[in-house]
Order: sequence, then C-alpha cells, then structure tokens
Amino acid sequence: MNFRKLCPLAAGIGLLAGPVLAGAADNGLTIGMGEELPSFDGYISTSRDGVVMTRHLFDMLIYRNPETFEFEPLLATEWSRVDDLTWEFKLREGVTFHDGSEFNADDVVWTLNHYADPESGARSQASVSWIDKVEAVDPMTVRIVSKEPFPAALEFVSGSLPIYPSDYVESVGLQEFGQAPIGTGPYKFTPGDSNSYTLTAYEGYYEGGGKGTPAIGTLTFRIIPDTATRIAELIGGGVEWIWNVPADQVAQLGTLPHLRAELGSTMRIAMIGMDAAGRANPDSPFKDERVRRAVNHAIDRDTIVANLVGGDGEVIDVPCYPAQFGCVTEAATTYEYDPEKAKALLAEAGYGEGFKVRMNSYRDRARAEAVQSYLAAVGIEADLEMLQARASFSAWREGNVDIWYGDWGSFSIGDASASTGNFFDGSTNDGARDEEIIGLVQQAATTVDEAEREALYSDVIGKITERAYWVPMHTIVMGYGYADGLNFTPNVDELPRFFLASWN
Amino acid sequence: MLGFLFRRSLLALFVVFAISVITFVLSHVAVDPATGIAGDSATDADLAAIRVQYGFDQPLMTQYAGYLADLARGDLGRSYLSGEPVGQIIAERVPATALLACLSLLFALGIAIPLGVLAALHANSWLDRMALTLAVVGQAVPNFWAGLLLILLFGIKLGWLPISGSDSLAHFILPAITLGSFAMPALMRLVRAGMIEVLEADYIRTARAMGLGEGQILFKYALRNAVLPVISLTAVQFGFMLGGSIVVESIFAVQGVGYLAWQSMSRSDMPVIQAIVLLISMIYILLTLFADLANAALDPRIRSKA
Repeated sequence: MNFRKLCPLAAGIGLLAGPVLAGAADNGLTIGMGEELPSFDGYISTSRDGVVMTRHLFDMLIYRNPETFEFEPLLATEWSRVDDLTWEFKLREGVTFHDGSEFNADDVVWTLNHYADPESGARSQASVSWIDKVEAVDPMTVRIVSKEPFPAALEFVSGSLPIYPSDYVESVGLQEFGQAPIGTGPYKFTPGDSNSYTLTAYEGYYEGGGKGTPAIGTLTFRIIPDTATRIAELIGGGVEWIWNVPADQVAQLGTLPHLRAELGSTMRIAMIGMDAAGRANPDSPFKDERVRRAVNHAIDRDTIVANLVGGDGEVIDVPCYPAQFGCVTEAATTYEYDPEKAKALLAEAGYGEGFKVRMNSYRDRARAEAVQSYLAAVGIEADLEMLQARASFSAWREGNVDIWYGDWGSFSIGDASASTGNFFDGSTNDGARDEEIIGLVQQAATTVDEAEREALYSDVIGKITERAYWVPMHTIVMGYGYADGLNFTPNVDELPRFFLASWN
Repeated sequence: MLGFLFRRSLLALFVVFAISVITFVLSHVAVDPATGIAGDSATDADLAAIRVQYGFDQPLMTQYAGYLADLARGDLGRSYLSGEPVGQIIAERVPATALLACLSLLFALGIAIPLGVLAALHANSWLDRMALTLAVVGQAVPNFWAGLLLILLFGIKLGWLPISGSDSLAHFILPAITLGSFAMPALMRLVRAGMIEVLEADYIRTARAMGLGEGQILFKYALRNAVLPVISLTAVQFGFMLGGSIVVESIFAVQGVGYLAWQSMSRSDMPVIQAIVLLISMIYILLTLFADLANAALDPRIRSKA
C-alpha cells in the first residue's frame, strides 16, 4: 500500500509537533523496517531487510569497503589465490562468537560446505552453487575450491556468505538457530517481543576488522509495513531511521527541523526489456532490430530522470551499473531522443501504422506511464499493467509480457557478471536469447584474467547495445529519512551499515 | 431436527472442501510460488532448487492430494519461509486480531445503538440527518485513509496515542476506531429502522396507554425487539472485520492474522495463506450454520423444507 499523496499532509502537520527523540540520549537507534523476517539465517532471509540484518549479526571472511570498493580483512586477515580454482584464507586469531566460543576453521568449513549442498535450501543459489568444497589446511587456514574458474568468488565471499558457529548450530539445529542466532558480528541478537528485534553491540567484538567497532549501543528494528505509517512514526519520533521514502516525500521531510532526509544513489539500474526472442509472441515486432532501435529513440530518458527519478539518479547507456567491473561504458552504442527517427525506423520495419503491446512494471507508476506515453507518441500502444515486484519478474521470466520496465540491484555486487551476466546468459531473465552473446557471457564468467574479462564484457556490451535488446534507462535512488544528529552515510549498494553510524 | 443438523453439517463440510480446492488452485496458478519464495533477485538455479525442494515440480493434483492428506490429519503444513508449523504461527497471531475485532465491535455498537435510537426518536430532525451524514461518510471513507487521518491527529499532532505496533492496549485504540467506524453505519441504520417500526407497534401504544415511563418503554420493550436483527448483522460484520483487518493491521503494524495474511501474500507463503483463508471461511461457515440452526429451532417450516 502506498499512500504517497497523503504524505505531504503528514509532513505538514508534523511541522506543528516537536517530539523529543530518545535515541541520542541512551545511545540507541530505533529503525523502521518494512517486513518481518522469517528467520535470522542469512542463507534463508535473502530479502533486502534480511541482508541488512545478516551483516549486523554475522561476519563474512572479508569485507568490501563501501567507499573505496577495496576488500578489507574481517574474519580472514589474509587471502590469496592458490590456483585458478582455489582461494586460501588465513583466519583471524582470538575471534569469539556471541556465546563466547572460539571461532576457527571448522566453523568456516561446516557453514560453507553445508550451504553449498543444494539440499540445504539456501535461497540464493548464485551465492553458493559455485563452491565445490571447502577444507581446513590447519585450524586457522581454509581453502575454498570452486567447481570451475570463478572470477567473482571474492564478491560472494565478502557479500553473502556469513559464517556460523558449527558446534552451536549442530546442537540446536538450523531451525532453532534461525530464531536465536549467534554470530561473530558487531551486534548480538537479544530476544524480545515479536513486534521488534533488538540487537546489542557485542562487547567482545574484535578490533582491526573492516567493520570497525560499533558506536551505537542498541539497535531496535521495528516492523512497520506501510510506507505512510513509517513516515508518520519518523515524524512523531517513534522511529529514528527509515528508508524507501518516496522521492517526492524526501524534500518534505527534509524541511522538518528535527529530521534529515536525502536521496542516496544506488547501483540499482532500471531497464526496458523487449521480447526480442519472441517468447511472449512468436510474431513479436521486437524481433526486428529496427523496432528495438525505434523504442530506444522514442523515450526521453533525460526528462524522466530529471523529473521522476530525482537525487543523483542518472541516465545509463549500458546494460550494467557503470562502476561495476567490466561495465565498459565506451563500448556502448547510444541512442539520442528522436521521436521522428523512431517513427521512420518503425515505418521502415513495416510498422508505420503502429502496433499494440502488453507492458508491465512495478516500482514507479509515474515513470512507467511516462514511458507508455513516449511509446504512444511514436505509434506503439502499450497496455500497461502495474504489478507487485515478484509477479512482474515472474511475467518477464516466463515470457508473458512484450515489454518490461524493471530494475536490478546486482546483489550489491560490483561486477558486470551480476548484471549483464545475469540478463544475457540464456537464463529465463534473458529476453534476447542471442546465441553469440550467451557464448561470450559464459566465457567471461569463467575467465580469471582481468584484462581478458574486461575485453569480453566490452564486446558483449557493444553487441547488446548495437542490437538494442534493452533500453538501458537510469540508476535508481533510495530515499532515507533519519533523526537530525545521527551520523549516517548511505551507500550505493543499498545496504545501510549501522555499525558505522553514530550520534553527534 | 437431527436429520436437519446432519444435512447442514454435511453441506458445510462440502463448502470447506470446495474452498480448499479453490485457494489451493488459485494460489498455485496466480503466481509461480517459487518466485515468491526466492524473491525478485532470484536466478534460474534458485528457482529450480526451490521447485524441487517444495515439490512444485510435481503435478498439481499430486500436490493437492498431499496437502489434503495432511489437512485431514490436522496438519496445516509449515511456512515455506520460516519453516515453523502454520498452526502455531496463526495461533500466535489470533489474540491480537480477536482483541482488535472485539474492540472495533464495541466501538461500533457503542456509537450505533445510542445514535440509532436518538435518530429514531427524532426521525427527520437535524439530529437524524446528522446521523445519516455520519453513516454515509463512515461507510464511504476508505479504511486506509481514515487510519492515516487518525494517525495525523492523535499520533502526531496531539501525541496522545501510539502510531503503530501492538505492545499495549493503547496501541489498539486507533486501529479499533478505524475498523469500527466502517462497521458502525450499517448497524446504526438498522437500529434506527428497527426502532421506528417497533415504536409504532400496537404493544408500545398499549404500554404508553398503561402509563409506563418513556425510559421503560424505550429500553425494556422497544429496544429489545428492535435489536434482534442487529445481532445477526453483527455476526456478519464480525466476518467483515476479519477481512478489513488485513488493511488496518498493515497500516498500524498490528501483529495479527490480517497482517500475517498480507505479508504471506507478498511473499507467496502458500501454506500460511491457505490456512488463513480456510480459517476465515470456517468462521463464516460456522456463523451461517449456527444462524441456520437457530432459525430452524425457531421455525419448524424450515426444518421440514430443507
């Protein structure tokens, strides 16, 4: 439910109130969260809120610094590639889990081997399916062996492989563990009522890791599913931090003296996918490259970004996030906004009279309707359906829609294999199904040499944009609102790090 | 009477069965449950693993047969997401929803009965018209909007009541008013209509002629008769409240069955959705069954016809 229209009213009335926030006084932070987590097991709760929780309760072997994008030590202090398939990690001495037990190689071996088995039910198979086996060299050294050369290994090791205490998990079982987790992370789980989750800074947290040591003593995650209610709670002082604030509300919230609001750029990219392979319709007009080029010329992306995205959102010309490794922007063929050219291309392709298509989208109705009207201006009548994100993705994957305005966060991974590699690899995400491109993408995914990989992606991006399989649209911004006095920096990977936050 | 009871119970059982088929088929056809479980960033490998793990690769009939067999043993299954038994998850949420529904009903009746009586006594006066306006507005304003206005006034501007959550009784006041104000108008109109009709009845005239006090006539004789249809409507409204609680609980973050339903829908947690739909329809069916039986007990003609 999104009652955006009402929120300016909320902001307006909020001006009259001046609540006193308790957070800074007791060094606690109350966070407004969107959904209840089914489990604290990070391999099961892979939604955005779940990933945020995982990173506070658990540590991975290494840490990717969100500012510098460099890998830094966390549970491992050193790491090196042994051969094309094997990475070796030296583990940190003296690390303890929240129950005081010692961390060592057994925990890494047990956790990763357990979830690498498809039977384990890990939700995100991409995170674990590349692992062949994990073995201990000695009590403080482990080796991760991949099934085939896997250049993105460290991305997953730093991003989505939390380490669990093997003894504890084996004694209580994963079901119980998911409700009462114990990790090595900067915050430990404190059981409480079901309306909120309380995390307390772990006093035994090691120093010298990439996450630093947490400054805020207690994090309380309150579950408030409705956006308007979350905003009202922020204004009223019931919570001190929220996200997913609609762009038009950010400015309103920012005017309140006790609040700060901002639009943070993210690595999430929006795109328009077309049924170039004819999955939805064997006679799809989008099978014709000229039609796809026409669509690229028909949409005024600059106007959409300036008026409907806001913040630091920017137009992209590539099927990936420009800062990702392998996302070679110079390789792209670009299409300027030129509706006359679009009409000419359509006429040339035999669609001078226009045609009708089914379109769906989910994130933002205004943007989707803007695209719909740009298409109408060149004669393409798009029957737009706004769906829930999951249903919309399903429709695209199952080939039930002609044109799709979606977006993709690349699992917060800074490598084109997670974006371009995920949409042009012949999987169900791939609406183009271009054999040549699929071959190149698969080759890039297993090429370890960086220069060679970059050259392959450059080639792929050149071909995708030249053949106009997508309209690469824009990056997406995330709206944050929080109490004045909180030091908080949004990151492009849409993963708030409260262990780095502090009160003035 | 026993035969009637048997026939109606059999029919009720058949309705439950039909509902279980419909919810099962709809929830598996409307959206691929694997996508719901895996989330929108899932890859094909994720989806394939989930389909095998949960048996979605089996034919729908086989899946349904398995579901029905478990159901017959009283096993509602386990949540796809948390792995906890569905019965337990729902049982944890019932108290919050029951409290919300009862408070809403109290609020609705507490306004509807006095206002309905007053409107009947002063039919076509300014008071009656004001009550009518209130009824129209109450029925027309959507839950989510009314809820937000209440949050603005009592939660933010006045700061009297908590905005969201279900920690204390105070947390239930705003959601109960929101939910109750939707049920109130129909009840009030019924009280008014009933009172007008009853007050014109011969026995009231007789009571007046006998010199009974106005208060005694109103509350002892008139209201008790006028309120009879209100009771059956209240039962129906109670059912509506369970449905309305999906919206209201989500707005106010009340950890009840309605919120659970909404969340389970957005994550395609089929076993939970099926169990909730089944639970709500069973409540409806039981209420209808009791109404049928009560009517049959009162009226022999129904027994012989059915």
